[in-house]
Amino acid sequence: MHSYEEILLFLEETSNDYKRENQYFDILHDETSSLRIKKTRSDEIIINNNQSGFVGRTFIGKWKEIAFNDISDLELIKTKLPKSSEHDSIMKKNGGWKLNKEVIPQIDPQNINIEDKIEKVREIYQYLKNYDERIVNPIIVYTEDLSSRIFVNNEGCNLRQIIPRTRVFIQPIAKEGSIIDFDYYSAGGEIGFEIFDNIENKLEKIAQNSLDMLKAKHSLSGKFPIILDPDMTGLIAHESFGHGLEADQVLRDRSYLKNLINKKVASDLCNIYDAPNIENELGSYFFDDEGIKSGKNFLVKNGILQDFIHNRITASILGSEAKGNGRRESYAHSLNVRMSNTYFEPGDNTLEEMISEIKNGVLLCRGYFGMEDPLGGGLQVTSKKGYQIENGEKTKLLKSITLSGSVLELLKSINAISKDNLSLKPGMCGKGYEDFVPVTSGGSFIRVEKALISPG
Amino acid sequence: MSNDNLDLLEKKIISNKIEEYDIYYLESNIYETQFIQEKIESEREVNKINYFIRILEQKGNNTGIGLVKGDSLKDKQINRDIEKCKTLSKINNTTKYYFPGKNPYNQIILAEENILKNPLDIKNKYCDILLSSINNLEKTKPSFGKFRVHIQNKFLKNNNKLNLNSTKTYFFFEFALKAESNDKLAEYWDIEYVKNSKDLELEERMKKWANNAKDALEAKLPHPKKDATVIFSPNLLKDALNPVLSFHASGEAFYDKTSSFKLEEKIADENFTIIDDGLFEGGLNSNPWDGEGNPHQKTKLIEKGIFKNRIFDQKYSILENIISTGNGIRTSEGSITNTISNLIIPSGNISLEEIISTIKEGYFIEKCSWLNPDQFTGSFGTEIRNGYYIKNGNLENPIKGGNLSGNVLDMLKNCKYISKEREYSENSYFPYIAFSNLNISI
Repeated sequence: MHSYEEILLFLEETSNDYKRENQYFDILHDETSSLRIKKTRSDEIIINNNQSGFVGRTFIGKWKEIAFNDISDLELIKTKLPKSSEHDSIMKKNGGWKLNKEVIPQIDPQNINIEDKIEKVREIYQYLKNYDERIVNPIIVYTEDLSSRIFVNNEGCNLRQIIPRTRVFIQPIAKEGSIIDFDYYSAGGEIGFEIFDNIENKLEKIAQNSLDMLKAKHSLSGKFPIILDPDMTGLIAHESFGHGLEADQVLRDRSYLKNLINKKVASDLCNIYDAPNIENELGSYFFDDEGIKSGKNFLVKNGILQDFIHNRITASILGSEAKGNGRRESYAHSLNVRMSNTYFEPGDNTLEEMISEIKNGVLLCRGYFGMEDPLGGGLQVTSKKGYQIENGEKTKLLKSITLSGSVLELLKSINAISKDNLSLKPGMCGKGYEDFVPVTSGGSFIRVEKALISPG
Repeated sequence: MSNDNLDLLEKKIISNKIEEYDIYYLESNIYETQFIQEKIESEREVNKINYFIRILEQKGNNTGIGLVKGDSLKDKQINRDIEKCKTLSKINNTTKYYFPGKNPYNQIILAEENILKNPLDIKNKYCDILLSSINNLEKTKPSFGKFRVHIQNKFLKNNNKLNLNSTKTYFFFEFALKAESNDKLAEYWDIEYVKNSKDLELEERMKKWANNAKDALEAKLPHPKKDATVIFSPNLLKDALNPVLSFHASGEAFYDKTSSFKLEEKIADENFTIIDDGLFEGGLNSNPWDGEGNPHQKTKLIEKGIFKNRIFDQKYSILENIISTGNGIRTSEGSITNTISNLIIPSGNISLEEIISTIKEGYFIEKCSWLNPDQFTGSFGTEIRNGYYIKNGNLENPIKGGNLSGNVLDMLKNCKYISKEREYSENSYFPYIAFSNLNISI
């Protein structure tokens, strides 16, 4: 085991071998320790996980990268990553900076006995199991990660951040006759064991929500006025819109938003951000995995597209500023342009007035999943449930609903945004089909004049 | 094949006087090239090891299982991991569990010698083929892509003298091919895991993907229909069937009372048969043994529409007092999940062309946005990305957009035609199948 100071010294020595005027070079040490507890009807799994590794890379017209576990393999870098004698004219210099910072949670999970953590999970399980015999399988998952990343490059970056991330997922599976369904609860952030504060007061609602789904009806199919809850609003901001703003897609000539900077992409009501520098959210950090300080991207202002989301190389080539969106799942995964906390700014309406103005429509709740279409600007997001809206009132509970169509059409037909507080939902985001990083997305309730929905 | 690191871990465990343990040790080497348009954007190499230690503490009718995942072979860290694992085994409380013993195993070839010898050369060779295939495509070009060669050495030892190892090689690639005409843009974007180099067929695949992209340029919205007949491509079929079947056929779902399948009940059309086969030549998850050391085998899940067998790992086979079917698959975190290995659907007796020709009005869908059915309920709703409208037995026009929705559990009963042609897709070898009673909305 090596101390932080020793690792830093090794990394600096390696980095100093590569002259910045000839090539950009960086190296990341990534260490994660985690605990995961999962309880179901038939199983209880407790996993302790300690992982660490290094990834070094250099840019010589293309990236060359090597990743490995053991510090004794640092020498591999010298043999695998070539030194250039040519002048680097592509990668913009960002300058070096120093940081050594840790997020301190209110209740540090490291100070809680493992027995107490398991007991908490078992208590939740037992409550849900006893609540109603139709809850046949309560699934509870608790995860805590402590991520430590040390970053050094040949521009003078010397950075370290330690970030705890905690998540809870509760999914009571309900069954009656041949019908099986569920609702779920999830919470997470750069927080500690306080994630369980007041959980006892939420369990009845969580259980009842699952039982209610047994009576839920199938959604309408076709184009209807819809309202999206903050989870679903976030899925639109992130999955449908945000992925098209990742500037690597622009360089690939694969973004439907490529030629729309300073143009109208959404209704005047829309302000959309990506901000890794918000405190204590699951998608937050002090610096990204290429040493860029976290900032705030104002992506859409009053419906006008302001900027793309960048990493070092896209910002260099497209002449923009990177604000901390170069991320890796781990040392063993690729670095890509990634979102962090992506959201719509709340508006001025109340949810009640938004519902009251719909004669026949649907409220989509509980964002479930979505898929990007960066080239085509298509949209697919699915909610776990919803409510029919009839004559200005929320009526029948509906099963899972899929929303699809064109992202830009949907954004331009937003006609109300609620003034509820910003709500960010934690999740894991893949780049296409792999490379998962923690993120949040959200907003408040938004209303769309008309959109295509079907049972999901 | 012996492994010094595995022996070191076992020595440490034994010196801690631990009686019941298993050690799963994994060495992974990845060689990757990423492309931006027709150029190489990055070259990446990853060399890593992981070990997973499980320690059991018997508690009468129950068992405590400790599980740690580590990657450090330093004495101090190994000792910490073992200590932590012991602690977890004392706290954990699950149903009765013990490790399997030695069994006879089928020997199958999982690795290609030339890849083991020269992985970088092999990767570069196929990247050259990819680039040349792409450069020869008409009216389409790539926006990005990836190609990877994977080498994986797996070792498993336990206190019952089980001592297993296997070496596997396989490929991954992802490409987005774009077609452009006047102001219109369309793409075909897909991934594939392929076990054997003979099944890579990069040139043919790129041609097919490019044709899908070009056809999408002319795509129209589908006609809405409430009782639509839809042909699923093997790839789309995998996305639909695998999550739902693997869940409902598992011993776990049966024990948890969440399975919709009852043995010997009719759950599918009488033409529908599906087999789980952990030894299947060319299957991504093929291996002589599963993640716990039980032999992989061939298990008929559905035969002529009747649900015949569940799949079991060690835990659920102990609960049901039967022999494991070798369906304990190791997750990346080291836990065991009771799920499928490879799924195989036998060929039908009609070609895809003949299927299309028999359909008066319907849809042939190659790819959706993300079908992702709910494993519990089987329901799904997804946007159509690449497909065709069928009219009077012909592909009338390409379609894109609109929603395809339905329920996988219902689809099994509404299977109309199964093609002669079959294709590999990750851990599946499936034909094209036409299903009735699906919903297309716009």
